[in-house]
Parts: sequence; C-alpha cells; structure tokens
Amino acid sequence: MDYYLNLINTIGIHTLLGLSAYVLLLTGQLSMAQAGFFAVGAYSASVLTVIFGWSILPAIGLAMLITGFLAFLVGFPALRVRGLMLVVATLAFGEFVRLFFHNFRWRVTQDGVEVGPDGTMGFSEIRYFAEHGWTSWEVASLIWIFVIIVMALIWWADQTRSGAVLRAVGEDELAAGTVGIDVTVVKVAAMTAGGVIAGLGGSLYAHQITMLDHHAFTVLLATFAIAYPILGGVSNVFGTLVAVIFIQGLLVEGLRFLGDWRMLLFGALIVVVMNLKPRGLFDSQTLRWIKNVLRLRLSRRLS
Amino acid sequence: MLEVKSLSKNFGGVKAVRELDLAVNAGDIFGVIGPNGSGKSTLVNLISGVFPATAGEILFQGQSLSSLSPHARVKAGVARTFQNIRLFPGLTVWQNLWVARNSAEDTRAEGISYRWFRKSGPVKNEIDAMLEFSGLADKGDELASSLAFGEQRRLELARAAATKPRLLLLDEPAAGMNHDEIRDLDKRIRQLRQQGMTIILIEHVMDLVMGITDRIAVLNFGSKIAEGEPAAIQENKSVQEAYLGQSDGD
Amino acid sequence: MDDFWFEFVEITQSVGDGFLFGSTYALIGIGFTLIFGAMGKLNIAYAATAIAGAYSSLAVFMLFDVSLVIIFIVSAICSAILGYLVYLACFRFIPVHNHLAALMASVGGLFFIDEGIVHATRGSPLNFPSMFSEAYFEVGPYGIRGDLLFVFFIGLISTGVLLYVLFRTRLGLATRAVAQQDVAARLCGMSIHSTNSTTFAVAGLLGGIAGAMTAAAVGILSPVMMLPLTIKGLIVTVIGGLGSIPGAIIAGLFVGSFENVVMYFRGIDERDMYVVALLFIFLVFRPNGLFGKTITRD
Repeated sequence: MDYYLNLINTIGIHTLLGLSAYVLLLTGQLSMAQAGFFAVGAYSASVLTVIFGWSILPAIGLAMLITGFLAFLVGFPALRVRGLMLVVATLAFGEFVRLFFHNFRWRVTQDGVEVGPDGTMGFSEIRYFAEHGWTSWEVASLIWIFVIIVMALIWWADQTRSGAVLRAVGEDELAAGTVGIDVTVVKVAAMTAGGVIAGLGGSLYAHQITMLDHHAFTVLLATFAIAYPILGGVSNVFGTLVAVIFIQGLLVEGLRFLGDWRMLLFGALIVVVMNLKPRGLFDSQTLRWIKNVLRLRLSRRLS
Repeated sequence: MLEVKSLSKNFGGVKAVRELDLAVNAGDIFGVIGPNGSGKSTLVNLISGVFPATAGEILFQGQSLSSLSPHARVKAGVARTFQNIRLFPGLTVWQNLWVARNSAEDTRAEGISYRWFRKSGPVKNEIDAMLEFSGLADKGDELASSLAFGEQRRLELARAAATKPRLLLLDEPAAGMNHDEIRDLDKRIRQLRQQGMTIILIEHVMDLVMGITDRIAVLNFGSKIAEGEPAAIQENKSVQEAYLGQSDGD
Repeated sequence: MDDFWFEFVEITQSVGDGFLFGSTYALIGIGFTLIFGAMGKLNIAYAATAIAGAYSSLAVFMLFDVSLVIIFIVSAICSAILGYLVYLACFRFIPVHNHLAALMASVGGLFFIDEGIVHATRGSPLNFPSMFSEAYFEVGPYGIRGDLLFVFFIGLISTGVLLYVLFRTRLGLATRAVAQQDVAARLCGMSIHSTNSTTFAVAGLLGGIAGAMTAAAVGILSPVMMLPLTIKGLIVTVIGGLGSIPGAIIAGLFVGSFENVVMYFRGIDERDMYVVALLFIFLVFRPNGLFGKTITRD
C-alpha cells in the first residue's frame, strides 16, 4: 500500500512542478528554472520546520513567498532574453541553485543532535510529518488538496479574461502590445506564479521524502517539469496531469521491471513524441477531435 | 489630433523616413499613399511604437508619444492594424476581441465579476455587437486561425477598434480584397468615423483611398511629396511621376 | 612581498592552464554556434555526442592499441556519425519553425546517449590515455603541462581547418548561405536538409575532437562529464554570441581561464557556480554576447 501511496504522492508533486512550467509556457516562456524554484521551496520550508521549528502550513506559506519573490526577481532579466536563450538562461539558473544548495551549510544543534543542511552531505532528518504523527494517508491528502486547489485556480483563471491575455502574449507578443496588453507585467506575473507553484511543490516534496540531496534537482527534473506541459499540451491543465500520470506512472514506475533501461526509454520516447506530435499530445486540434468524437458517440447513444 | 514633426527613421544606412511633417485633424479620414518602399509602414510602426524614431516628434492630442511603450500608446488612444494580419491564431474570435476590449476602459467601474466571465452583461453585449459589425456573429467560438482571409481581415479591424481608440491606423487593410469586400470595408470605416474615431489609412487601392479620405499625403522615399484633397492629388504631376516614373519630353 | 609574488605566479599559472584547457570549451562552443547559426536551433545533445565519440575511440584503443592520431580521428568520425543520427532523430522531421519540439527532442537525445553510455560502461569511469603527460616545460617560475599544450595545439589545428572549410570551400559557402537566408538558398537549388545534415556532421567532427581532448586532458572518461560540458558549452556559445565563431573561441578560452582561477580560490565545489553566475552577468548586460548577430528570421 505504501508503495502506491508513494507513487500517488510523486504524481501529485510532479503535477505541481508541471503546472508551474505550464503557466509560463502559456506566455511563451519555456523555463528550465522550475526545478531551481522547486529546490528553493524545498530547502526553505525544510529550514523553517527543522531549524526554526515552524509548523508545516506556515512553513509552506513562507517558502512559497520566498520562492515567489525570487521568481519575481528572475522574471525581469528573463524578459531580455527570448526563446532559446531563455532556455539556456533558465537552465543555467537551475544549475546555479543546485550548486548553491550543494554547498549550503547551516547546522544547528537541537537536543544534542546536529541538524540542518550540511553542504555536500545533503539535508537529512526532515522529519516533520513523522514527529507530528501524520499518517501516510494524511500526507497524501495534504499533497493532493494542494494539487486540486492549484489546478482549480489555474482552470478558473483560464475561463477569465486573464487566461486569454496570458495566451495572447504567448501567441504573439508584438500583437499583444498593440492591443494594449502590458507584456512585461504579464510575463513577470507568470514567472512569479510559476515560482510560487514550484515552491509549493518543493516544500511538499522535501517533507514527504525527508531528505534533500542536490542530485534531486538536476537538469533531469527541470526536463520533467517542462516535459509535462509540452507532452500534455497547453490547452488545459488536465493535459499536464495526464502527462504526469503517463510519464511517472507508466514509465518510471510501470517499467520498473526494465530496471535502469527506463531512462533510455524516456529519452527515446521524448524523441518519438516530439516527431509525431510537435504541438504536444493534447494540442487544441486533438482536443477538438476528441470533443467531436464524444459528441458523435453521445448523439448515437441518445438516438 | 496627431502631429508628426520632422520625423526621421534610419535603419543602418537606409533612411526609411526623412523629416516627415504631418498634421491630422480630429474626425478626419486621412490617407497616406506612395509607392512601395516609400516609408508608409515604417510611419505606422513609428506612431504605434513598434520601434523608436531616430529623430523628430510625434504629438498625439498635444502629448508626445516618444516615451510611451506600444501598450501605453493604446491606452492613450492610438490603435493600429497590421498589413499582414497578426491575429492570435490559437484564440477564438471572441477571445481575440475580448483581450482587446477591456484594455480600453476603467474596468474598476464595472466591478470585478464583469471583467471576468464572458457570460456577464455589458461585456458580452459589446463584444456581440462588434461581432455583428464585422459580420462574424456566428463565428464567435471559431479559432481565429480557421477563418477565411476576408473574415480575418474584418476581425483584425474589429480588434483594433475594440480598444476604443481615438486614432486608428489602418495599414493596407484592403490588400488582397475583391470589389465587394472593399465596398464593405469602405462602409465599415465610415461607421467607425461616425463613432468618433480619427482614421489614418495607408493604402494602395486607389478607389478606396480617393473615395473615402478627406485629405491625402503622398510619400516617396520617406519624404512627403504632396498633400491635399483627393481630387488635387490625382492631378498632381509629381505624384504621377512617383508612381509611374518620369516620361520623356513631357 | 614573497608571498604576493608566489600568489601571483600561482594565479597566472591557473589562468594559463585554464586557457589551454579552454580550447576544449572553444571547440564545443563553435559546434553549438555552427548549428545555431545554420538552423537557429540549439542541439542540447551535442556535448553528449562529443563524449560518446571519445568513448568509441577509447573502445578502439582498448581493442587495437592504436596511436593517438587514430584516437582523435576515430572520435571525430564517430561523433560526426552520431551527430548525423541526432539530426535525423531530433531535427529533420520536426517542422522548421517549431523550436520547442526540436529542443525537447534533443534533450531526449541527450538522455538517451547518456544512459546508453552508462549501460555500456556499467557507469564506472574509465581511464583515457593521456598524451604527453610526462612532458613538462619549465619557463621561469611556470610549469607548462605537455598534455595541455598538446590539447591546445589540436584545438588550434581543428579550428584552422574548420575556418578553411567554411570560407574557402563550396560546402562552407553553402552552409553560410543557408544560415543567412534559407528560403533564398532553397530557391537557388540548395537542399536545406543535406546542408543542415552536413553542418551537423562537421560540428560532430569538431565535437569528437573536443571530446577526446577533454578526456585526454583530464585523463578520465565518465558519463558525468556530459552535463557540465553541455552547460559550459552553452554558456560559452552565449557569451561569445550565438552564431559567432570568433566569439565562441574567445569565450571558450576565457571561460577556461576563469573557471580555473575560481577553482584556485574557492575549490572545485563552488567553481561551476561562478561560471554560471558569469553567464547571468552577460545575459543582463550583454544579452547578445560578445559578437552576437541578432539572427532575425521570419
């Protein structure tokens, strides 16, 4: 049972990661920095609960604020670089964060035991849930309540004018400016929102897995983050969720019997999918096709 | 309404616009014509803020536009269309108008709920009216990319008008249109003027320009070579030469 | 005063060693920039093909005990072949304007090659024959490592040959034409795909040489070298300016020196942080890099 709960938790946390990249992708910004924000959230929340003894929700809250603020700061220089250059810049940022935490030491002694992030030795003993008697079900519920809230918020925003504005910027920045949209505000806001969501995911991840090591926050994680919305398409949030379930559930876990060949397959799969469906698995054309098919089926049922 | 003073734009060595002077009165339909490469599109880009001028000034209702970014100019009341249509292809027709429409007003007055959902009253009515105006009433939920060419042109015009501008710059809106479509365009431009807009029309299609404008400026190689009422422009020798080339011994 | 002099010598020694090693970054940077210049796209799998080339030459060496010239040639050829395959898999069939999909595909290619090598070698680092490592020249207070000098030399020759090909042969002309105006080039009868695949192959040749150079200078070959080399290669390309070969050369040598000096002061753990920070400074103050051409394509 615990094995499946673990998988469900991973899917939930990765969905948050994917959604953070999704929001940015809507505005046309492909960001490889989400793993970096994820890491910042993870370490911030853990420092707050472990070293300062904060309770989990306030810790997550402050971690989200910190990450959001950092993302806000990153948002501005990010405006100066376009397309591929942004990918390089955000890739580099992610690496910087990883290396930073790889060297980050903040040890305190509590009850005779040394705790806290220990540079190259990582950050272990993030035992908030265990120490406060949380069951695995409660942890999973917490994670998924957040996932559902974030998905609902993004879905709701997409029904409003703000969603259309975000997408307009993603489609054509020049035209967007010409119809009165302040592209700078939109892009920086998207970066900030993406950072907050990634920070949330990271905070939950740290406490669920109880230890942090810089190896968790490499380019691989950054790639997962953007793979989800690219694979799932940017038409709506459910695409990202499906992509996470597909990649994590099927690939990483389901193909466990293939052992270490999974990564090979993952790489090959990305190549194949990108060649077959360059606009993502669930682009707007595919969605309309699905809708039409469903409508046909329904009308046949009713008649 | 709009004053252009000694406006110049250089692209490297190319002088696209040379010390241009223009004055457009409120409520006018002002035409700008000239052979290809005369700087007409550059002029539109300069006024709408796509790139900064090398020298000179653009005054809109007495206020200089040079410090304003493109979106700020829209908020100030200057809108434009693109020669090669720049709709948002992944958005529906309705959404294309929607993102343009609310930028114009003080949305706080409407209350938060009205800004958001398309089902609400005043917003829905206005956008539906715009769709009517453009003959796209039944196409609201279609993706902009799936529209026919003529429909896309109408949407491009409607979207610019949706920002409720005081000055509307039309960059060759009739390009590629057939006779009926041009007549329809003529009608709609007049309707927009009746709604209180001043219009600058960049065009090649002479029937449209001569029939609808109050005044015309003629550009060649970035400078103004003539200005006046349509009839006068048609008679003007230097205009004829610019378009047709000089004839020997005439 | 003696201490200062000692420090000074140590620092300039680091700069010098780093400069020589930087020739590997320069080659990788040139490779990235060639592909970007020709297609407007980034091939994230590029450094991986370079290292993979080095692995294949190591395999040949272990089987046949060949001379070092052969090692470099084998590495270059294998890397070129792999580069061509990456082109087919990740760029050839994806719509030209879709940069995102091609980028993602090349990331997939990177993972694929990385994992492939890990499996082939069971993940353990292998010793790479180092060349001229016994040679050591003393010039005053400085020591010049023979192997680094050799590596630098190879880099010099390779770059020279590349520039010759680019600017004095028809192939090079075609590549530059496609880079500048691909529509016009097509109208002139040039096949975009064959020109692009040739660009990938040429970049691959360079990459293979760079991969072997890196392995020779470090003495070890390990799959964990792929990612840092990718990132540093990208950083070099960006600092030098996307699409600029002289930029990549200068930036590569500069980054090599820079990171070595940083390592002297702050140790190897923090070294890469500073290299990345260098990128930010450039992106904020000079986003086009040193010699960047703003490639405007419609």
